[in-house]
Amino acid sequence: MIGWFRRYIQLRAVVSTVLLTGIAMTALGGFLSYSIGNGLFQTRLTQVLSESQRAVIQVQNTFSASNVTDEVALQTLMNSVVPSLESNTATQERQVALLRTPGQPSGSLALQSPMSSNLNLAVIPGDLRTKVALAGSHLSYQSVTIPTALGDHPGIAVGAPIQIPLAGAYELYLVYDLQNEENTLLFVQRTLVVGGLVSLFLIALVSYFVTNWLVAPLRVASDVAESIASGDLDKRIPAKGTDVISTMARSFNKMADSLQKQITKVTNVSTMQQRFVSDVSHELRTPMTTIRISGDMLFRNRDKLAPTLKKDAETLNDQIIRFEALLGDLLELSRFDAGGVRPHMELQDVQHVVGMAIVSVEPLANNKGSRINVDLPTELVEVELDSRRIERLLRNLLANAIEHGEGKPIDVHVAGNDHAVAITVTDYGIGMTKEQLDRVFDRFWRADPSRQRTSGGTGLGLAISQEDAHLHGGWLQVWARPNQGACFRLTLPKLRGGTITEAPLPMPPARPLWAMPKGFYHD
Amino acid sequence: MLVEDDEALRNQLDRWLTESGYEVIPVGDGSGAVEIFKAENPNVVLMDIQLPGRNGIELVRDIREFAGTPIIMVTARSEAEVMDEAFQAGADDYFEKSPWEPEKLLARIKNSLRVQQRGTPETTNEEEANGVLKIGSVTVDILGHEVRKNGEKISLTPYEFKLLTTLAEKPKLVFSREQLLKDVWNHSYQGDTRLVNVHIQRLRSKIEDDPDNPTVVVTVRGIGYKAGLN
Repeated sequence: MIGWFRRYIQLRAVVSTVLLTGIAMTALGGFLSYSIGNGLFQTRLTQVLSESQRAVIQVQNTFSASNVTDEVALQTLMNSVVPSLESNTATQERQVALLRTPGQPSGSLALQSPMSSNLNLAVIPGDLRTKVALAGSHLSYQSVTIPTALGDHPGIAVGAPIQIPLAGAYELYLVYDLQNEENTLLFVQRTLVVGGLVSLFLIALVSYFVTNWLVAPLRVASDVAESIASGDLDKRIPAKGTDVISTMARSFNKMADSLQKQITKVTNVSTMQQRFVSDVSHELRTPMTTIRISGDMLFRNRDKLAPTLKKDAETLNDQIIRFEALLGDLLELSRFDAGGVRPHMELQDVQHVVGMAIVSVEPLANNKGSRINVDLPTELVEVELDSRRIERLLRNLLANAIEHGEGKPIDVHVAGNDHAVAITVTDYGIGMTKEQLDRVFDRFWRADPSRQRTSGGTGLGLAISQEDAHLHGGWLQVWARPNQGACFRLTLPKLRGGTITEAPLPMPPARPLWAMPKGFYHD
Repeated sequence: MLVEDDEALRNQLDRWLTESGYEVIPVGDGSGAVEIFKAENPNVVLMDIQLPGRNGIELVRDIREFAGTPIIMVTARSEAEVMDEAFQAGADDYFEKSPWEPEKLLARIKNSLRVQQRGTPETTNEEEANGVLKIGSVTVDILGHEVRKNGEKISLTPYEFKLLTTLAEKPKLVFSREQLLKDVWNHSYQGDTRLVNVHIQRLRSKIEDDPDNPTVVVTVRGIGYKAGLN
């Protein structure tokens, strides 16, 4: 993906360079081709017109000056005009025709209209003939197409009226072949195209090498950044020179250095904290257990004590138990804080875990008079989880629900989709206000400090629960309304490392399970 | 036998266990523990993991060389690696010091005494009624408390024996880890199933031809374990 993208940047640079220069060169080539073609045509036209002018004057003079009187002599004279004009030009041959202007009364003389042998009369357009007939003594011209054995050639037909004594109005036509100019233009165009293609290729090559040269250090930087990101903190970008890329490399290396220092520091602190927690755990637990056994023995034998001391033995034992629970939760939280918690993940049927959690809180629920209603999916829902932690989490949610549920039923819903499973624990008890809701996962926070606690909670349970949910890549969310109840929803990805897009259960549930038709739930 | 280095805790545990009706041999450090064990031959060993002299895991290994006596690790820490190592060395069960749950400790001790008792076959099948079960190449004599493989005697610890017979008595049933934890160790719902995993490993290394391709104790993926057929 990254490699592809890198190549993509370079590809994009090369392609856009080639495309843009291609467009520019096409426009330039088109303009050049047009102006060269136009220039060639105009030059030739000027030349043609002046040659024609000369020819017309020459022919008119020939006729005007002649004093032929008979038909044969006139025909001979007319016939001589054509070859004399055909080869007259230095540059190119032209074709000549001397045509009788149509529409005049057929004269006394029946003369033939002489013309070049290779001239096809169809070449001279009707338009031109009309123009010539009306033109007086001016020259008229028009671009024409000359069919030849080698294909059509472009050409110019020039015409002018000629007065021939005895014979009447005639028109002299001179047809010039422009194939040479056309060839020149074609050659220029071909040269432009070939030159354009070659320069495009060269530009592509150059832009490839230039971008390569620019991207190469970036590629190195990107590889190094990736290695660092994946944990190889010792990698650095080789930086020499003073250009902007070397400066970037040096800044990057500086950043990596300070990052590495920070990470090493944090890792050391974290390792030390983990060690500390582990040591404290051991050092505190041993005397704690000793105290607990002593408290237990005092408590068991409290009837042998003086009545005034009996109460003390009871208080001592209760508070030792509470202290121990607190210590356990605190140590668990500091283990999370030190980042030293490794979950023991196994593929488990989530319903089984839910079932075990419910069984464990049943005595508490019976005590409070809360019934636990359960809505489970019919099929097996397997989830990769640390069953000890998730069961503890659910037990904690259930104990909270029972404690705040005021003896009303507790609902447990379980549902899964393709990627995730959700479990909601809902009570219909005292609920919480918005302000309370915001603090519910805070450590040592209690909804109502004056309330008597029955489940022996430490005030750390929900904080630990949330850590456990995060440890699984899951969510622990809460909904609550004063005097309507509270709903906690745990959403877990089905497989370790999976991501959750949405929870498969609404929070809170649409309606309480006891309000459902009979047979909907089983408990 | 109670092996615990912390004097106060050792004394309190000693008093508490005595009061609960057990005869206690308190041992304060690891170095002399094996000799005391040999001399006293206790029914159950409660063993702290961190001991001066010789640590708990090494002690377990030493005792396992000559005795299968149930060993319950008493631990302050429940880190997975440490516990796995202890189970692999031959420990049978564990008990966490904190939170202190006295009923649990009593239940563990009771259970370790229970698994040592010679069982009676729980079957009505005539062939098996004389107390001999067969799984694969392994025969289990429940009354004689003896396991033979291809006629050769194999020595199992009481817990391993209990695990094997539990599976063998109901050869068609697939046992989940939780079920085995309940049947063999008498743990309540929230047990650590690694205990089962490691014991199955240990059992396999003793009775299977190839522990990597087990035929006697077979894994049923996603559910648990069962006895191999025939």
